[in-house]
Amino acid sequence: MSVILSVFSLVLALALVPLFPGIILKVKAFFAGKKGPPLLIKYYTLLKLLRKGSVYSTSSTFVFRLGPIFSCAAALMALFFFPFAWLQPLFSFQGDIIVLLYFFALGRFFTIVAALDTASPFEGMGAAREAFFAFLAEATLFAVLVLFFRMNGTLSLGEYFAGQTPLSFDGARGALLVLVVVGLFMVMLAENARVPVDDPATHLELTMIHEAMILDHSGPDLATIELGAFCKLFFYAAFVASLLKPAQLVLNPVLAILLFYGLVVLVYAAIGVVESGTARLKMPLVPKYLLTSFALVFFAIILTSLEFIQ
Amino acid sequence: MSFEPPVATCTAAGLIFWLFLYEKPWENVQKIMNILLFGLLIILIGGVLPLAFVCRPRLAMGLHAALLCAGCLSGLAGLFHAWYTGTIMVLTIPWLTFTLHLSLDSLAGFFLLPVLLIAPLAALYGYHYMDTSRHSLRPVASCLFFNLLIAAMILVPLAADMLAFVVAWELMSFASFILVLYDWEERQTRRAAHIYLLFSQAGAFAVFAAFGLLFAATGSFILNSGAFAALSHELKLAAFLLALLGFGSKAGIMPLHVWLPHAHPAAPSHVSALMSGVMIKLGIYGILRMYFLLDDSAPVFAWIILALGIISGILGVAYALAKHDIKRFLAYHSIENIGIILIGCGLGMLGLATGERTMAVLGFTGGLLHVLNHALYKSLLFFGAGAIHRSTGTRTIDALGGLVRRMPITGRSFLTGSVAISGLPPLNGFVSEFLIYYAGFLGLRFNGFNLMLVIAAIVSLAMIGGLATACFTKAVGIVFLGEPRSPQASQATEAGPAMQTTMLALTFLCLCIGLFPGPFIHAAFAGLRDLGPMASSLLSGDVLAGISRNLTLIAWLFVVLLAGLAGLRHRAYRDKPVERAATWGCGFTQASSRIQYTGTSYAMGPVNFFRPLVLARSQCTGLAQKILPASAKYSSKAEDLAEITLQRLLTTPVLWLAQKLRWIQHGRIQSYIAYIVLTIIIVLLLV
Repeated sequence: MSVILSVFSLVLALALVPLFPGIILKVKAFFAGKKGPPLLIKYYTLLKLLRKGSVYSTSSTFVFRLGPIFSCAAALMALFFFPFAWLQPLFSFQGDIIVLLYFFALGRFFTIVAALDTASPFEGMGAAREAFFAFLAEATLFAVLVLFFRMNGTLSLGEYFAGQTPLSFDGARGALLVLVVVGLFMVMLAENARVPVDDPATHLELTMIHEAMILDHSGPDLATIELGAFCKLFFYAAFVASLLKPAQLVLNPVLAILLFYGLVVLVYAAIGVVESGTARLKMPLVPKYLLTSFALVFFAIILTSLEFIQ
Repeated sequence: MSFEPPVATCTAAGLIFWLFLYEKPWENVQKIMNILLFGLLIILIGGVLPLAFVCRPRLAMGLHAALLCAGCLSGLAGLFHAWYTGTIMVLTIPWLTFTLHLSLDSLAGFFLLPVLLIAPLAALYGYHYMDTSRHSLRPVASCLFFNLLIAAMILVPLAADMLAFVVAWELMSFASFILVLYDWEERQTRRAAHIYLLFSQAGAFAVFAAFGLLFAATGSFILNSGAFAALSHELKLAAFLLALLGFGSKAGIMPLHVWLPHAHPAAPSHVSALMSGVMIKLGIYGILRMYFLLDDSAPVFAWIILALGIISGILGVAYALAKHDIKRFLAYHSIENIGIILIGCGLGMLGLATGERTMAVLGFTGGLLHVLNHALYKSLLFFGAGAIHRSTGTRTIDALGGLVRRMPITGRSFLTGSVAISGLPPLNGFVSEFLIYYAGFLGLRFNGFNLMLVIAAIVSLAMIGGLATACFTKAVGIVFLGEPRSPQASQATEAGPAMQTTMLALTFLCLCIGLFPGPFIHAAFAGLRDLGPMASSLLSGDVLAGISRNLTLIAWLFVVLLAGLAGLRHRAYRDKPVERAATWGCGFTQASSRIQYTGTSYAMGPVNFFRPLVLARSQCTGLAQKILPASAKYSSKAEDLAEITLQRLLTTPVLWLAQKLRWIQHGRIQSYIAYIVLTIIIVLLLV
């Protein structure tokens, strides 16, 4: 029964993944006083891209074609281990979250080398920024894992949200999660090429990070990259959303799924609000932004060793 | 007709195998040691015999490679049997008035594994790498020292008393010094070799001092785990610190690493591979051996090792980013990886100190496995760097580009090696890093200082991982991808067949450990088997079985997903138009290879982030001084903080003092004789 439920929640997530970026666009359109594209725009984009052929640069090699499938496979991996709606995930073991973060890094590795494969200075520039900001983001993410281990003694996504003592906003320790939610939200924006670190809507290649790296991809390759990016953003958004449920709240699976996707929509809407309200940071400010997120989480770790919180 | 080493190797291996079966070593434990020593003998013959064929250097080199392979295969056979019989083999050899003890225990066996695996590959690689057209004596002579180095590296882990260890250690330093000096006409090479000699000898003195302390306290040369149990904690700490100074400088721990980035680029590539992949690990061996011999589980050892590991790890990779010479870049990565190994061992020691057994098991196992992993991918990368240097004549990253099209095998194996060294799944580097992470997380149950150190270890491991990815995307992307940045790069040709074979073999091994981690994790764990009372508490490795199962599962899940996506992609492109055109220049139509991003600009962000610790200085001239700019020049260079500090605090004062004492050295022979007489008189009066 629980396996069927896990498979169902995974399939549901996979089916819904391209929906959510549409929500961000809708929110942004609302703030700009426009009607905005239809909610299913990203499904149409993927279908459109899948129907097209590709143009490959004469400079590029097989590495260029490996980039999309590696980044997409790495992001898909994460969904196999994620406890959607606080239900048991399909796979789970102690340490799986470390492996997943490293698979994201593998995807990034191949995206970067694929960008450098085109011999384009813009793509090189995007790649350099991606590599720089990623290592700072990784420090924050691992600090979050350290905190979670201090809080419930586990090291697996399944145990965080669907285990014996799930993480939640209860008691003195739960207060620390406020810091984590803010820190994770900041890292989510940085890791998924959103404002204020990167602007997916910009038209100037010099100011891009992720978009600059995939300038030369087209057709089904671009669709694969987009799908991978949707999955990655969804993983982070679901991570933040899962932290928001109070522990006492015990729901049947249907209600849990509804609540979960409601919270996910909220996180995506929050991204849209942030994007509508702020401008992209200057590049030299991005490390400070990421270190701020690290400082927030680190502060929470220090608090765990205080008496009254234990 | 040239002497083809692969054929010869197979013949030799067959011969050895037959001999091996004939001897039936499993019937007699002592024979296993004999097989190992027999391998050693073949290796030594393989060093001397080629000297007889100086006039036919190709034949001599082939002979060298074949005999070395045979010797190492024989050694491996002995090693595996020792592994299965599970007993400690001891051998005593009378020498002068002393007795030398050799023993093969689990830790020695584990460190012998990279030696015996990498050495034959390096020799095979050298067969096509070495240029015999200019000199004929030199490559052949280097074969002798190469095999002496291998023999010494086999003897160092085997040595079971101080004398044998000292002899083997010094032989190792000496042979590698000569090998670094291969291109001695170049000033830089001579300087590198001098620095290396200085560091290895100063380090050796520190090790001897540690041995002296222990000998003074016990009166015995034997290095046996029971021997030092009764010593006081302070004495043990002093001996450990002295040994750490010596072994640390060999291993390349951060402030003592200065020789490494000089010596590795200077030496021929297969020698760099051997030195960086294998030799510096014997420094780690020394540290671990000393720790277990002293049998003291005080936390202070763990603190020192962990702190050094964190410093070496982060700064090693930060300096690597700033380097333009591909071999120097790899040398700094060795420092980074030594840092990771030390973090693993330090977490293990912390686990022992606090009684967290699972943490200790995971830390030591991760550290040891990383020793093997690093040996594999670092040799692979040095082989790749050598192939690039051989075919383009340059080691400057920013002068290369687009090599993967001209050197497909080298490019693909370098790419695999880069993924592995960045610690990314599903390759081998990740397996050991995962174990170390796991050990770190178990350490989060501590409080106070231990907790802070463990958090620092975890966060720095994460940062090292991210920075290593930045480094190796730079190496792969700038060197192998894009368009050639210089005429040399555009005329590159693929490396010789022996070089390709060795790179492919190492690539295969990296994949193998990544996809089937189980046996290798257990081998690393078994390395702790015979380490005396402290380690005997670690003998339950249950947690490892679960971890290997999970890592195998996730690696294969990824492979399946990847294959699935590749299949879907193939389907999606069926009967779709696929064209080739120039890279999209964002409107710019006059693109040339010069407008590509360079390695220097790629690394600029993180390098500046480490500003006070990594002194990257850039100079720019000729830009925007007049209305029409003149030709502009840009150069940047990152100087090593440790080197500068060492120079300021040690070298300069010593030179100053020496300058002041010059009057003693004046070249008059009669005064020198007077010095001697005076010295003798003083000594006689005093003693």
